[in-house]
Amino acid sequence: MNKTANCVIIGGGISGVAIAYNLAKKGMKDIVVLEKGYLSSGSTGRCGAGVRMQWGTEMNCSFAKYSIEFFERANEELEYEGDIEFKQGGYLIVAATEKEEQQFKKNLELQHRLGIPSRFLTPSEAKEIIPYMDETQIRCATFCPKDGHLNPFTSTDAYARAAERLGVTIHKFTEVTGIDTEGGKVTAVHTNKGSISTPLVINAAGGHSKRICDMVNVDLPLYPERHQILVTEPVDPLQGPMFMSFSQNIYCQQTPHGSFIMGRGDANEPRDFNMNASWSFMEEMAKTTCRLLPLLKDLRVVRQWAGLYEMTPDRQPIYGRVPELDGFIIAAGFSGHGFMFGPATGLVIAETVMGETPSLPMHLLDRDRFARGEEQWEPSVV
Amino acid sequence: MLERTGIPTKEQIESITPSPERRAKGPVAVIECYQNIPCNPCYTSCRRGAIKELIDINDRPELSEEKCNGCGVCVYNCPGLAITVIDETYSETEALVKIPYEFLPLPAEGAYVTGMDRNGTPVCRAKVVRVLGGVAVDKTSVVSLAVPKELSMEVRFFKEDDFYTDNTIICRCEEITLGEVRDMITRGYTTIDEIKRLTRAGMGPCQGRTCRQLIMQEISRMTGQKPGEMKMSTFRPPAKPIKLGALLGGDDHE
Repeated sequence: MNKTANCVIIGGGISGVAIAYNLAKKGMKDIVVLEKGYLSSGSTGRCGAGVRMQWGTEMNCSFAKYSIEFFERANEELEYEGDIEFKQGGYLIVAATEKEEQQFKKNLELQHRLGIPSRFLTPSEAKEIIPYMDETQIRCATFCPKDGHLNPFTSTDAYARAAERLGVTIHKFTEVTGIDTEGGKVTAVHTNKGSISTPLVINAAGGHSKRICDMVNVDLPLYPERHQILVTEPVDPLQGPMFMSFSQNIYCQQTPHGSFIMGRGDANEPRDFNMNASWSFMEEMAKTTCRLLPLLKDLRVVRQWAGLYEMTPDRQPIYGRVPELDGFIIAAGFSGHGFMFGPATGLVIAETVMGETPSLPMHLLDRDRFARGEEQWEPSVV
Repeated sequence: MLERTGIPTKEQIESITPSPERRAKGPVAVIECYQNIPCNPCYTSCRRGAIKELIDINDRPELSEEKCNGCGVCVYNCPGLAITVIDETYSETEALVKIPYEFLPLPAEGAYVTGMDRNGTPVCRAKVVRVLGGVAVDKTSVVSLAVPKELSMEVRFFKEDDFYTDNTIICRCEEITLGEVRDMITRGYTTIDEIKRLTRAGMGPCQGRTCRQLIMQEISRMTGQKPGEMKMSTFRPPAKPIKLGALLGGDDHE
C-alpha cells in the first residue's frame, strides 16, 4: 500500500478510473484509486449501459455528446486489448402523452442547436425502426442514430488499464474507513489495508458517496435508490436501437451479444441501500414489454439484478470542490446516468484539479446550487 | 478378450464390483484379479481378514465387503497391480480412486491430470489428491485421484497432462474456453465475479452451474487460494429461464 499520494480517488467505477486516466494524462504523478470490491462492482457494472445524446438540458446534452464521441474512439485512444463493444444502434424514445410530446419538441430544438443529429418521428416512422412495436400506443418518437450501448465492464477495464500504464495505482478490495482533515484541509485517507497521506481526495463512490462525505462532515444532498434490470437469453439480431419511454417507464435494448437488457424505475422505491432483486419488478417489466413490444413475449429471462441510482434533488450530478473543505472534490449524484457521463466526468474533474477552465459547462453543477435555489431539473429520466 | 488384450469384459467387471450399498458406506477395495494365478500377497497382507484364505494358491481372491475398510494395504502388495480402492463418499460429486503406480516421476499433489479407463482412453479430468511413495508402500506408489463419482469404476490409470487444455470450453452457455479464463487470472483478475463480468462465463441460461466450479479450481490452481475461502458470485433469480410472456401475472396484483 502506498504511504503517500498526490491524489486519492475513492471509487473504482467508470467515474473513478476515468478521472484517474485523465489526471495521469495531464501529467499528475502518484495517483491512487481505492475500490472496496472489484472494478465496476457497484453501479457501473449494474447499469443498463445505454448512452444517449437525447437529453432535456444543455449540460446533459453536452456531457453526453462528449462522452459518446469519446466512446467512439475509446478502443484506440485507451489502446485496449479487448473491446468495449460499442454499438451505435440509436435510441428510439417514444412519447405516450401530450405533455411528453411537447417536451420532446423542446428537447429536439435544444439538441439541434447543440449539433445533435436527433429527429422527430411519427408513430408509423417509428414502427419502421422497430417493426414489432405497437405503434397505436404512442403519439410520436424521437430518434438519434449516434446513441447506443456498450459493455460497462470492459469500458471500465479499458480506462483502468490505460491509467495503470500511465502510472496510476489501483487498489481493489480496499475499503475507505476514514478521512483525516486538519485546519479545513484533507490530510490522509484510512483504509482497511493501511493509510495514505494525501492533500487531495476525489469522491467518486457512487451510491456510497454520501457515506464518504459523512466521514468529513461535508453535506451532500443525495440518496441511494434501487433500480432493477433483467436480461434475456441471446437471440439473433432483432432490434437495432434502444427503445425507451419515460411515461411508460421502460428501456429495452438488444446487446451485440444478442441478449435483451431491460429496466424500469419504481416511484415507490424506498431511499436505502437495498440491492435485492424483487419479483414485482419482473412482473411489471414483463407487462410493459409485452404491451409495447409484443414480439418479445417469447424471450426467456435468464437473470435479474439490482443496482443503486444515486439521486440528487434535480436528478443531475454534483461536481467540483466544496467551500468548507480544501482538497475535497465531489463527482457523484449521477442519478442513473453516471456510466454514460464517465468520459466527461473524467475530463472535467481532471481539469478542475489542474486548475484549468472546464471544457464542458460544469459550473452550474456545484453542490451549492441547491442552497441557492438554482436546481437544474432534468425532465428526461427513466 | 482378457487373454488377448488384457482388458476385462463388462461381465467380468460386474462380477467384482462392490455392491452399491457397500460403496455408499466409504472406501472399499476393488480386486480385478480375473485369472487363476499362483499368487497370494493380497490375502497375506490384509490385516482385517477381508480377503478369504486361498486354499489353493491358484484360487482367485474373494473380498468380504463387510470386513474391508478400504485401508489400501493390498493395493501396493499386489504384484499384478490389480487392486484399487474406491471411495464414493469423498465429496458430493467426486469419488477417490487409489491407483498403484510404478512409474517415475510421480505426479505432484494438487495437479490436474487425465484420468483414463481400462482401455487407456482419456475419460475425465482428475485431481491428484495424495501420492504415497517409498519404502512404506514397498516402492509401489499409490496415487489417489479425485474423479467424477460416476467414473469410480472406470478410471484405472492416468497420464500426467491435464485433461483440459486452453481450448477446452468450460462455460458451455457462452462458449468460454479455459484459455480465456487463464488469461484473465494471469492479468490479475482472481475472483469469480471479475472473470464472470469480463468474459461472460457464467452469465448464460445455466447461470454458471458447471463453470463456476471449474473457474474456482483454476483460480485455486494458479493463485493458491483455497476454494473454500473464495467469494462466490451471487446467485440471481430466476432459477430457470422463464418466458417474459409467462411472467405477466394475474390482474389481482394490480
